[in-house]
Formats: sequence, C-alpha cells, structure tokens
Amino acid sequence: MKRTGFLYDERYQYHDTGSYHPETSDRLPAIYRGIKEGGLLEKVTLLKAKHANIKWIETIHSNQYIRRFEEVCLCGNSCFGSSDNQMCTETFETAFLAVGGILDAARRVMEGELDNVFCAVRPPGHHAEHEEAMGFCYFNNVAICARYLQIEFGIKRVGIIDFDVHHGNATQHSFESDPTVFYYSIHEHPSFSFPGTGREFDQGIGEGLGFTKNSPALPGHGDREYKQLIHRDLIPAFEQFKPEMILVSTGFDGHEDDDMSGIRLSTEWYTWMMETIMDMAEKYCKGRLISILEGGYCIERLPELARNHIKVLLGEK
Amino acid sequence: MFVSKSMTKKLITVTGETDILEVGKIMRDNKIRHIPVVDDANILLGMVTDRDIRSAMPSVASENFDSKEERDKLSRLKVKEIMTTDLVTVSPMYTLQDVLLLFEKYHYGAFPVTNDKGVLEGIISIRDLLRAFGSVMGIGNPGALLGIVADDKVGQMKKIVDIITAENISMGSILVARHWEEGKRAVFPYLLTHNVVRVKKKLQEAGYEILDPMKWHLDQLPKK
Repeated sequence: MKRTGFLYDERYQYHDTGSYHPETSDRLPAIYRGIKEGGLLEKVTLLKAKHANIKWIETIHSNQYIRRFEEVCLCGNSCFGSSDNQMCTETFETAFLAVGGILDAARRVMEGELDNVFCAVRPPGHHAEHEEAMGFCYFNNVAICARYLQIEFGIKRVGIIDFDVHHGNATQHSFESDPTVFYYSIHEHPSFSFPGTGREFDQGIGEGLGFTKNSPALPGHGDREYKQLIHRDLIPAFEQFKPEMILVSTGFDGHEDDDMSGIRLSTEWYTWMMETIMDMAEKYCKGRLISILEGGYCIERLPELARNHIKVLLGEK
Repeated sequence: MFVSKSMTKKLITVTGETDILEVGKIMRDNKIRHIPVVDDANILLGMVTDRDIRSAMPSVASENFDSKEERDKLSRLKVKEIMTTDLVTVSPMYTLQDVLLLFEKYHYGAFPVTNDKGVLEGIISIRDLLRAFGSVMGIGNPGALLGIVADDKVGQMKKIVDIITAENISMGSILVARHWEEGKRAVFPYLLTHNVVRVKKKLQEAGYEILDPMKWHLDQLPKK
C-alpha cells in the first residue's frame, strides 16, 4: 500500500462564494464524507493547511496582482474582476492557505515521507493568470507547485495532467515557452466551453514547442472518446518527456451528472484515469504524484469520486 | 463594424519607379503579398502582388532562364510596368459586411482603402477581416456557448437576453440559426462566464429548450 496524504482543512471552507455559486464550500465536506465512509481516513496521512510564503506565489503571479487581490478582498468587495470570482474577506487568506498546504504536501513527497497526496483545496487555480483572477480561481496552485519543485528540489521535468473539464488556460500560459514543464489537458472543446482556449493546435511556443498538448473533446463525448484521446495523446507524450514528477489538476466536472459541461464521463472513467496516471508515475517518477483539486460541482457525486480517487492513490484495487 | 477600425494602417508602400527585384525582397522580408503603389502625395496608383512579381520573372522552363541578359532586363523592370491599375478600392466607411461580400465577388486577398481624394489610408486583407469577425464573435474572451431553441416570433430574443442579464452575465456575441424546425429558431449566445448552471435552469424554467450543441453541429452536416 502506498503512503498517501490527504490535505484537508476546514479553513478551506472560509472562502465564501455567496448565496448561489457552483464553487461552494459544501464541496469539501462532501469529499471528506466520501473518504470517511469508505473507511479510508485511517489509511491516509491527514495534512493541514499552511500559510504560503509569498515568494512562491510570485513565481507565477506579479506582486502587484497579489497586492491588488489583497486590497480588493479586505475592502469587502464581493467579487474580483469578473463576477464569476465571488469572494469574501477570508478569500485572500484561504488562497494563501491553499498554496501553502500544497507546497507542504510537495515537500513531504520530495523528502520521501509520502508517495502521493490528494490536496482537497479551495479556491481552485488553473484559470488564474499572471495578472488576472478568472473562472473561480485566484492563485494558480498547480503552476506554483511546479515552480516550487523545480527551484527548491531541482526537479528538471515536471509533467502536469489536467483532466478538469475546462482547459487550464493559465497553466498553459505559465509554461507554454518552457520545455521543462509539460502541460497536458483534456477538456470540453473550447468552441463550446469556458474558457474558450485549449485548441488541439496549441502546442507551445519557441523553446516550449512540443511541450504543451491539448485534447479537446466534443459535447456529448464520454468514456470511450476520452480513453482514445488519452491513449493517442497523453501516454506517448509522457513516454517521450519522462517527467520526474507528476502533478494532476483534478477536476470532477466532466462527470455526466455535473451540469457544468456537456461531457458525459462515468464514475468508472475517473478511476481508470487515475490508475493510468499512477502507472505513469510508477514508470517515470518513482510513484511520486500530487493531485490538486480544481472543479467538480455535483455534490451528490463528489463523495464516490473522491473515495475512488484516494483508493487508487493508495494502490487499492 | 467599419473598415477604418479593422484595416492595417502601418503600411509598406513603394513608388512606381521601384524595381521589381526590390519589391520581391520587401515582400519576403515582411511576409506580405500585397503592396500599394503610391505617388509623392500618397495617392494610390496601383497594387503589386507576389503573383505579379512571379509572372514577370522568366520561366524556369525557358532556355535563357538566369542568363545575364534576363537578369539585366529584370533589374531594369519597374513596378509601374507590372502593377495592377484596374483597382477595386474601398472606403474607410465601408462596413465589414461590405468587404466580406467584395471578397466573395472578386476573389482578391486584400483591398486598398482610400479616401474620397484617392489618398491611401490603409489596406484590409482577409486576415484583417477574420480577426475582426473573431473579435465580434467574442472568440478569445473566456466564455461558454449556450444553444437555446425558441419560438420564431417577436419578443423571444428580449426574453432570453433579459434572463441572461438578470444573472449579471455579459455576452460576447449572439448568433441565430433562423431555420431550425417548423416555427422554431435556435439562438446561440456566447456568455462571458464560467458559471452557466443557473442561467441554464432559469431558461428551462421559462420554457426554453437547451440545445445539445452537438445536435446542432450534426444537423448542419451535409445530408447524404
């Protein structure tokens, strides 16, 4: 059995998105409940939130942006930029706790204390650009984690797999010129779905050409098409890239019962996807893997999806 | 939606006295295929394209290709001798729709834009037009596409827009397929939001059918 960490902290619920918003704090207790009811809490190492050092956030976001976020938040504004980004006075601190918790998890994996971790954090991150909050996201958790691993632990090749149903525009933008971070995303086609980026022909820029890969899927597509795309695009790309560490942007919003997209994935597909990623982590990264929560809004489905996710991380069949 | 907003204004021009080898080099260096030819007062005299240049070159199949004689002849050849003078020009106040129809009619790659005195103000190419329509459609702004079936009668669009506006959602664009099924049309608003769940519910509660976008896609494919 693997040594799996589970980052969970009630303080991640303090980011309040108002009376109606899909990215609600109820998502986290639903995830916790699923893991608890599966009898898995005893098998994982529970990790708590930590406040991040701002220097790591500055590897992806400008200091000016961070200060603006702080000001807008502490002044009591209900949103930051677009009205998608609903917030409360705790949002800024919660976003720091999300990054800090993830970096602490990454350190534990690098120091050999844990094999892998599932970080059930809020707010999510993959839409947050260098200078702009977007799509419920404020700090790009996964991108910051990739830079932290490179700078603090000298990891040369980081592979990011993003299976949230929406394209991680900001993660792509962070690394599209960088051949040391491979960004792979599978998502609903950008002509139909937010944020309207992530075309098949986006493959990186300059030195980073060939180190970005997108697999857009059409609305109505599900397990069969997603599996074909993973076999065609992801597996050969990572075979060539050979990441030393795999980070996963985990979004459960492509599930058929989730209203946020037209993609129709089953619960079983998510298990298959994580097993496939775990195989790659074993093959290339000594099993090291960090999974970071992005979207997933169907409260009724989150418990089983999170439970299965942890089971795969633990190596349970 | 006017040409003046979408045309290229930073222009590379030549005079009629420029030799064609020089023009060919300018085209290659700047990756352009159309160059307006102007006089000292920037009055448009003609257009020269990469195709005009190629046509003026000796055929590789000819015997004296690349002979000294041919090279001398080419170096003496001036733009004014090969340029097109029978021009279709457009006004800066033409609309993008005008230009789209002109592109369809003439099969040219670009039109020079002149004012009523014949002074060159810009050039509008198919690329400029594509960029302008992309911008009008909201492509490039983060958003999501909805498909809504509505009765083909007056007032439906207002109701739909009201529901979207009440959710505090901005629209990047709105496209309409007029002929859907008997008495129906399909409306495709591009919403500048990540949060489409509640607006979908509100539209359904108001009696609208939310369309599977793929159904629309497949229905548009040519029938066998």
